[in-house]
Amino acid sequence: MTIKDWIFVLAISGLGMMTANLIGFDVAFSESLPGVLVLLLIALCAAGLAHVIPLKLPTVAYCSLLGLLCACPLSPVSQFVIESAGKINFTAPLTMVGAFAGMSISNQLKMFFKQGWKLIIITVLVMTGTFFGSLIVAQVVLRLTHVI
Amino acid sequence: MKKVERAYASLRERVRMEWILYLLAFVFILIADSIGQIKIPVWKGTFIIFPIFYALFLGINAGANISIVISAGPALLLQEFGNLCTIFLAMPVALLLGLKREAIGATHSINRETNLALMQDMFGADSPEAQGSLSVYIVGGMVGTIYFGFIASMAAATGLFHPYALGMASGVGAGILMSSAVAALSEVMPAWADQIAAMASASETISGIDGIYMAIFLGVPLCNFLYRKLEPTLGRITKSGRELAGKN
Repeated sequence: MTIKDWIFVLAISGLGMMTANLIGFDVAFSESLPGVLVLLLIALCAAGLAHVIPLKLPTVAYCSLLGLLCACPLSPVSQFVIESAGKINFTAPLTMVGAFAGMSISNQLKMFFKQGWKLIIITVLVMTGTFFGSLIVAQVVLRLTHVI
Repeated sequence: MKKVERAYASLRERVRMEWILYLLAFVFILIADSIGQIKIPVWKGTFIIFPIFYALFLGINAGANISIVISAGPALLLQEFGNLCTIFLAMPVALLLGLKREAIGATHSINRETNLALMQDMFGADSPEAQGSLSVYIVGGMVGTIYFGFIASMAAATGLFHPYALGMASGVGAGILMSSAVAALSEVMPAWADQIAAMASASETISGIDGIYMAIFLGVPLCNFLYRKLEPTLGRITKSGRELAGKN
């Protein structure tokens, strides 16, 4: 992807987020705009970093790190970043993920339904494992540290 | 890192090929967000390129709450490693059911948006790993909220676990799952509702910060390791597993 592609794709996502924020949460375009721009800028920088830095880290990792740095108390722009990003409802970008996720399985829909029961078993196990794994560790450590 | 690059000669070509997808995405946004919390996936075409925003949101959220992380104590931090337990539970079963590389994407984490983006980023949007992740994401979106609330109240009913621990376990890096677990727990233990909610959101915040790094540095390597060890045996027990093994 060239930088032009990135900017284009990010602009589309930005519009998607603002639309979702408007329809779902009644936040006006003008109000979402600063937050969206902040997010897009961080995303673009992350894409650039992933391109420049020879480490084999995924773009998302840089994205999350940059977001963390921008919003942490040491950052001079943290107030602005937190405030403007706070205007965008957390689930606003997720609608778009859903839309693209749906589209991307469309051509394998038959396979998806045929495999459906397997996927349900696996999903249920993944959730059970995640919940009980952290539940047991939390319980043991709380005991050991005499919090409970 | 294997990466499937989508080759377009120019931006104009990309737009010509993909404009319908963007348009559809917007239509879906209009529909989905008008309805609110219920998300409907609608089908048409193929295109995924959404690595970014979820991680970003989580990152920003975390930066704002960093003092919680420090004050919430060792249990809160260590229980994050508990989230990895799911790999030991789900990976062998996925292999038994005949999944191949899909199993890595499907079981490396609870597979919410960030993880979906991560799998696409690490393995490529068309990779089996990303497909596995997408499948669990979609099924999780459909049955997840109901099931997560259910196991939370079941766990509470055993009487073995402290409400603090139950609260922490509810924060797994997915807002809707956390809300459903907290709602279920508050119903069962109304006296502890506030503490449960506080522990859950602290744990949720921490998962938001570390979830992606856990997946990159521990989850995926662990999945790869287990896959190499288990697939040659568990993956060949069922007929469909053997058939697929021949193809790969």
